[in-house]
Amino acid sequence: MPARNRSLWPYLLIAPTVAGGAFLLLYPLLKAAVISFQHFRMGELIRGGAVFAGLENYTELLTGAEFWQVLLRTVVWTAINVVLIVVLGTGIALMLPRLRRGLRLALMSALALAWATPIIAATTVFQWLFQSELGVVNWVLVTLGLDQFQGYTWFADGTATFAVLVILVVWQSVPFAALTLYAGLTTIPVELFESARIDGGTGWQVFWKVTFPMLRQLFALIAALEVIWVAKCFPQIWVLSQGGPDGATTTLPVYAFKVARVLHRYDLGSAVAMLTVLILAVALISNLRRMVRS
Amino acid sequence: MRNRILALAAVFALAACGAAEEPGQQQAAGPVKLTVWIMDGSVTQELLKKFETEYEAAHQGVDLDIQIQAWDGIGERVTAALASTDAPDVIEVGNTQVAQYSASGGVSDLSAKVADLKGEDWLPGLAQPGKIDGKQYGIPWYAANRVVVYNKDLFKAAGITEPPKTRDEWIEVTEKLNKGGNQGIYLTGQTWYALAGFVWDEGGDLAVQEGGKWKGALDTPQALAGMDYYQRLQALGKGPKDADEANPPQHEVFAQGKVGQIIAVPGIAARVLEVDDKLKDKMGFFPIPGKTADKPGTVFTGGSDLIIPVASQRQEQAYEVVKALAGEQFQTELAKAMSFVPNRTSLAGVLAGDEGTAAMAVGAANGRATPNTPNWAAVEATSVIKQYMTAVLTGGDPAAEGKKVSESITTTLNSGS
Amino acid sequence: MLNAAAVAVLVTTIFPVYWMFLTAFKPTRDIQSDTPTFWPAHPTLDHFVTAINAPGFWTYWRNSLLVTVGAVLIALVVAMLAAFAVTRMSWRGKGAFVVAVFAAQMAPWEALLVPVFIIARDTQLLDSLAMLTGVYFMITLPFTIVTLRGFLAAIPVELEEAAQVDGCSRLTAFRRVVFPLLAPGLMATSLFGFITAWNEFAFVNVLIIKDQDRRTLPVWLSSFRDVFGTDWGATMAAASLFALPALLLFLFLQRRVGTGMTAGAVKG
Repeated sequence: MPARNRSLWPYLLIAPTVAGGAFLLLYPLLKAAVISFQHFRMGELIRGGAVFAGLENYTELLTGAEFWQVLLRTVVWTAINVVLIVVLGTGIALMLPRLRRGLRLALMSALALAWATPIIAATTVFQWLFQSELGVVNWVLVTLGLDQFQGYTWFADGTATFAVLVILVVWQSVPFAALTLYAGLTTIPVELFESARIDGGTGWQVFWKVTFPMLRQLFALIAALEVIWVAKCFPQIWVLSQGGPDGATTTLPVYAFKVARVLHRYDLGSAVAMLTVLILAVALISNLRRMVRS
Repeated sequence: MRNRILALAAVFALAACGAAEEPGQQQAAGPVKLTVWIMDGSVTQELLKKFETEYEAAHQGVDLDIQIQAWDGIGERVTAALASTDAPDVIEVGNTQVAQYSASGGVSDLSAKVADLKGEDWLPGLAQPGKIDGKQYGIPWYAANRVVVYNKDLFKAAGITEPPKTRDEWIEVTEKLNKGGNQGIYLTGQTWYALAGFVWDEGGDLAVQEGGKWKGALDTPQALAGMDYYQRLQALGKGPKDADEANPPQHEVFAQGKVGQIIAVPGIAARVLEVDDKLKDKMGFFPIPGKTADKPGTVFTGGSDLIIPVASQRQEQAYEVVKALAGEQFQTELAKAMSFVPNRTSLAGVLAGDEGTAAMAVGAANGRATPNTPNWAAVEATSVIKQYMTAVLTGGDPAAEGKKVSESITTTLNSGS
Repeated sequence: MLNAAAVAVLVTTIFPVYWMFLTAFKPTRDIQSDTPTFWPAHPTLDHFVTAINAPGFWTYWRNSLLVTVGAVLIALVVAMLAAFAVTRMSWRGKGAFVVAVFAAQMAPWEALLVPVFIIARDTQLLDSLAMLTGVYFMITLPFTIVTLRGFLAAIPVELEEAAQVDGCSRLTAFRRVVFPLLAPGLMATSLFGFITAWNEFAFVNVLIIKDQDRRTLPVWLSSFRDVFGTDWGATMAAASLFALPALLLFLFLQRRVGTGMTAGAVKG
C-alpha cells in the first residue's frame, strides 16, 4: 500500500468502533446527562415536554444524607469483594499447577461451570441455600452442631444479608481471576522459580520476589476490572434483598435503580449514574493511563 | 481490505434491516390486529382461546392477538408500552398499580363509557384505584381476596369440628393444630396483605391523607396491635420470617400435608393438587375471622383493571374488547374458571355453590384497597413493609420499627411526579 | 493438605451448580422438603417438559441465538480492526483511544436504559432485533477490544514482516499468518461477549414491546412465576438448559481462556 495513505489507515480501522460508540454509547450517555438536568419523570417519559431544572437533582442528591451513606457503603462493598476475589483467585491459581492432573482438571471445570452459570439462576440457588427453614446452609450448620442456626433468618439482618451477597459475588467472580492468573503463571519461565529456590527462598518469598513482580500488570488489570464489575453489580443484590433490610445492601447501582425505575424519578436516577461514572473515572483513570502506556 | 468491507457491510446491513421493519406497515390492509396483554395466571389458556374465537366470530375483520405477560419486569414493560408510539390496545394491570399509570397521562380517559359498562355497581376496590381526579381510567376486571385454606384431616385429628369465628378462637384452634411435627399455620413473615387486614380490623391503616399530604400510619397503636396479632399467629408454625408467601410457593409447602392452614386466594387449591393430589377433597375454606363473631375480618381486595393506552392506534375497537372482557358473559365464565370475584356486585351470585368462592364472597363484603395514590405502587416495589415485618418478627422493637417504616412510606408517597 | 484444600474449593465451587441441576430433576413435592436430599430420589423430566413446552420457547431460542451470535461476531470484527490499529500502528491519539475504550467498560448501562429506549422509539427501532443486536454489540465491544489487544500483542510482529518480505500484502500477511494464530484468542474472547449478551434481560424487556415474537430466552427464563409464586422446578430446568450453550462453549474453550489478557499484560 502507498506510504502516503499510511497515516489514514489507523483512523479507518477504528472508525467502526468510534461510530458504534458514538451512536450507541455516547449519544445515550449525553441524553442521560441532559435528563439529569431536567424534571423528567414517568409523565415526561410518556408525554414528553421535560423542562430544564438546573442543578436541582444534583443539589437534592448531594445535600441529602442517603447518597453519601450509599456511596460509603459502595466503597466498602467494592473493597471487601475485590480483596477477597483477588486473594482467593491468587490462592487457587497458585494451587492449580501443584495438583495432580485429574484434580486440576476437575477444579478448573468446576470454576468454569460456576462462571458460566447464568446470574439469575445462581442468585436463585443462593437464595434457596440460605433459606431459613428449608435451606441447606442452615441444615449443614445445625448438623455440624451449631444449633443457633436452627431457622436462622439470614435475610432479616443487614450484616448477614451483606455477607450472603459477598459470598455470592465472590463465588461468581473468583473463577475469572483464578483462571486468568493461572494462565499468567504458566507463562513465567520455570528457571526463575528454580533459581529463586536454589537461593534458599521460601514459598512466600518466591511469590513476592518472582511471581508478583512478573504478574504485576496482570494483577493491576484484574483488580481494575473487578473494581468496575463489583461496583456496578446489580441483579444479584436486587433479587436477593432489594437493597434491604433497612438499606444495608443498597449500593450505588441499586440506589439508582430504586430512584429511577421504582420511583420513576428518571432525572434523579440519571444524576446518580453521572456521579457514579465520575467517581469510578477518578478512581481508575490514573491507574488506567499507567497500565495503557506500558 | 476485504475484512474491513465485510465489517462495514455487516454494520450497514444491520442498520438497513432495522429500517425495513418499520411497524405499521402490516396494518395497511387485511384484518385489524388488536393486541391484548393479559397477565400470566389470570385466565386459563382454554378460556382465552374460547374468548378469542367467539370475539373474532362476532366482530368481522378483527384479529385478536392475546399475549400472556410474565410477571418479571412487567412494570417497566407497561411503562415502555405507554411511552411507545404504537402500544398494545388493551392492558391488564394490577389494582394497586393502575393509579400510577393513570396519573402518568398515558392512559385513555373512559369516564364517558362508565354507564355503558354498567359501572354503577362495580367493586369499589377495583373502581376507586382506576379513578383519578374524577376521571375513570381503569375498568374493573376481576378481584380476589384471601381466605383461610385448611387441611380437613388435620382439623379432624386435632378434634376441631367447626372453623373459628373470631380471632381469639383462631389462635386457639391454631395452637391445637401446631403439634407433633405439624404446623398450625404456615404464615411467612412477609405476607403483608394479611397484616393489612389485621391493621384495618383494629381501626388503623397503612397510610392516611392529612391536608393533602400522605402519612405512613404503621406506627399508630391500632397498626401496632394488628402487627402484634400477626406475630402471635405467625409463631404457630414454621413459616420463614424473612420471606414472602411466594418464596417458596406456599402451595408447595401446604401440599406436603403437614400444614394446618394457609392464607391464600381460593384459586390456590388447584395449584396444591397440581403438586400432589393426596389433598383432593381434603381442603376446606373459611373467611378470615374478625374481632367478633358477627363480622368477618377485613381483607385486602386484590385484582386487576383494564386500561387502554393513549398510544393505542385503535381506541374504538380497543374499547369493544374491554367491553366484552368486562361484560356479564365473560365475567361469569372467568369467575367460575378461576375462582375470582366478578367486577360487579350484582354478578356475585355465581360464587355460590363452591366452598372456596363462597368463603371468599363472605370476606369480600369487607374488602378494602391499598391507599389510593399513584405512588402506592412504589411503596410495594421497595418492599419496605415486608422488611418492617421481618424486623419485628426477628426481635426488633415494634414501635421503633413502625416509626421507621412509616417515615419511609411518608417520603415515598409525597415524592412528586 | 493441598489436596484437601483443593477438594474444599472444588466442592464449594460446584455445589450451587449441582443444586441447580439436581432441583431440575426433582419432582415438585420433593423440592420443599424438611431435610434436604442430595441426590434425586425420584428423578423426573417433568420440569424440562414444562420448560420446553412454554409458549415461544423455540422462537425465543432462535432470536437469542441470532442476536447473541450477531452481536458477538460484529464485535469481534470491529474489535479486531481496532486492536490491529492499536498494536501494529503508531498514530496520534492512540493513547486517548485506548483509555476511552477501557473507560467505556464503566458505562452505566442500567442508567442508559431510558435514553436508549427514547432513541429507539424516536428512530422507529422499537421491536427490532437489529437495535437489540446493536446494544449488545456495544455492551461487549470494549471488553473485546481490550482482550484482543492482548492476544494480538502476544503475536510477534516479525512473523508478518517476514511474510511481507516474501511478497504478501499487509492484509494477506495478516490473514495467512496472524489470523490462524489469533483464532483461539478470538474464540476465547467471544465467550465473554456470548455470556453477557445471552443473559441480558433489561434491554429486551423494554425494547421489544408489541412484537413478542422478537423476545429472547431470558424472558422465557423468568416466565415461570405468577401470583402464586415461582415454579422452581421449571425455572431450574430452564436455567440448566439456558446455561448449557455457555457451559459447552466454555468447556470447549477453557484452556484458551485467559491467555489473551495474560499475554498482553505480561509482555507489557
